[in-house]
Amino acid sequence: MTISCKISGDGKKLVMLIDERFDFSLHQKFRDAYTSVMTQDLTYVVDLSQTEYMDSSALGMILLLKDHAQLYAGKIIISRPSDTVRKILEIAQFQRLMTIE
Amino acid sequence: MSQSQKIALVVDDSRMQCKLLSVLLEEENYRVVVANNGESGVKMYIKYQPDLVLMDINMPIMNGFEATRRIKKLSGVGNLAPIIFITSMDSEQAFIQSVDAGGDSILVRPFTPNVFKAKIKSMQRISDLVEQVKGLQQEQQNDAELAEKMMSNVIEARNFALDKIGIIKKPATIFSGDIQLSALCPNGELHVLLGDFTGHGLRSSIGAIPVTETFRAMTKKGFSILEIIAQINKQMYTLLPGDLFFAASFASISEHEKSAYIFNAGLPDGYLFNNDAKIMQQFASTHPPLGILPQLLPDAQLEVIQVKNNDRIVFITDGIVEARNPLGEFFGFLRFEKAAIEGIAKKDLTNNVLKYLDEFCQQCEQEDDISLVNIPCSGWKKIKVTNKVSIPKGFSEEENYFGIPQGALPTWSYHLHLTGKLLKTVNPIPLVMNQINDLEGAGEHWQSLYTILTELFINALDHGVLELNSSLKDSAEGFSQYFNERSKRLDKLVGNVINTPDDFVRISLKYFPLSHGGKMVINIKDSGQGFEVLKVIKDNSIAINDGLKLSGRGVELVNKLCDTLEYQEKGTLVTASYIWHI
Repeated sequence: MTISCKISGDGKKLVMLIDERFDFSLHQKFRDAYTSVMTQDLTYVVDLSQTEYMDSSALGMILLLKDHAQLYAGKIIISRPSDTVRKILEIAQFQRLMTIE
Repeated sequence: MSQSQKIALVVDDSRMQCKLLSVLLEEENYRVVVANNGESGVKMYIKYQPDLVLMDINMPIMNGFEATRRIKKLSGVGNLAPIIFITSMDSEQAFIQSVDAGGDSILVRPFTPNVFKAKIKSMQRISDLVEQVKGLQQEQQNDAELAEKMMSNVIEARNFALDKIGIIKKPATIFSGDIQLSALCPNGELHVLLGDFTGHGLRSSIGAIPVTETFRAMTKKGFSILEIIAQINKQMYTLLPGDLFFAASFASISEHEKSAYIFNAGLPDGYLFNNDAKIMQQFASTHPPLGILPQLLPDAQLEVIQVKNNDRIVFITDGIVEARNPLGEFFGFLRFEKAAIEGIAKKDLTNNVLKYLDEFCQQCEQEDDISLVNIPCSGWKKIKVTNKVSIPKGFSEEENYFGIPQGALPTWSYHLHLTGKLLKTVNPIPLVMNQINDLEGAGEHWQSLYTILTELFINALDHGVLELNSSLKDSAEGFSQYFNERSKRLDKLVGNVINTPDDFVRISLKYFPLSHGGKMVINIKDSGQGFEVLKVIKDNSIAINDGLKLSGRGVELVNKLCDTLEYQEKGTLVTASYIWHI
């Protein structure tokens, strides 16, 4: 299980591509992907296009990322969730807290 | 780890070998026991429970492989009794066989005493590690059990009406923090909470105690469900680490108003079922789980619904819909709804859902707590309306049975004048009830007073200050329209720091102790235009007798509870007196 990360060409986006299962087992890797990033005004894109399952600890991880982003005046975009995953995000009303596209 | 002398078991049919190994082991501070064949080796193992076993392979009666298999079976999973084979068969075959039989290591003769001692030390190190892991596992298990015990025995055992509310509660192998609470409000309304903390084990139960305390204490003091939710959110925000939160659904059910208030923050849809097992309404999550935001979102709102007798409200956590069968499929909403609908027809929703779940999941290990609450909307404690005290037979009006002092002054009085925006943000009833409790102590008789104050205050605010027409509440559509309009008008109330705003409600209490109890005189004045109270009461009593009307029961109820009830100044001032008898 991995997370692949890349900075966009213009250096304004950090894209984090998540695996099929987004759960507690990704905890450390997910954190490692952003903790050392201290760029101001960065957009963190959590790409969920590959993700089929997400649990509540994944929601918790996203919230930690949000805290981190806010610290450096950045923002979060949740990108391309599947219908199942979108449903989980909606139950938690995450669209009220961040952008989901 | 025990500091006492370790025991080694030597199993070998050569007495010479036994002697040799015993000497070396004793030098390493072991107490040595000896067996001369596999069978007696197994017996000795059972008797002495050694820390280390040295096993020969070829022996009469039972060989070393068989003895090892039996010992490993006896010692069970996760329990390491390290077994070292000692052999002169230096073959690949012997090595593989000894590992297959369950041996932990093999030592081929000839070897020097130092090699032997080194081998033993390394085995002991591994077995010490296993012991340590076992200890840690046990500790974790204890923690999880403590958390679970705390939830079920300490917290949930104190719930109200456990016999009436249907509950499913199946904790996962690792306890994961679902919580079910119910409590009764002073005015007879019922508050219910079903919540799900993120995380597993003890970590997920950090919030349970504060949530419980807040829920119970605030309900008892008469705070509204939204105020309680806001407070729990604030508490969880301060208390829980960033990635932990509390998804929860709340219901406040008023039997006498035939209504319920629902709030779902992060749980799957809740349901309203009618008596014919039809899904009347679903309550989707409208707010992020509690503990994420420092305050509730400004548009956080309760859903107000009308309920009928025998309707039931059902909340579930995601453990139900995400329960899996051996094929890895989810139980899902459709199966849940089917089980629930069928269950209502069988008059046992809770157990039918449970039955379906068990059949679906078979013996699959459960990944998350499975919880459900099934709350009937009727059959709750009726507010006592008969406790208006009457003068017993044989006393005449003139005898002043209650000893009401003519023209006497009250022993204390209390005034609360709320203006403008405060009418939206402050619920004065808990404040007032707190004062009364502080001054006169707690007592059963305050329940009716609570109801009187609540109804009169709401009337003054809704019909007086906000000029809402209660006839709106007569139809189902009007019912929600009424509450929408109400919150819109509340938002318009202004806070003005320089001039006192025009809108106000003033509550005054005067207390007179009596020889057999006490008397409270309540005055509530509002800034509205007034309304034709008599007409409302008259209409209501006719309508209630006909069983027609949904709204306006407040005044009728208060009239029954009070000794006197009088509206003056076009309905903008109400004076009620309440007498209780000890």
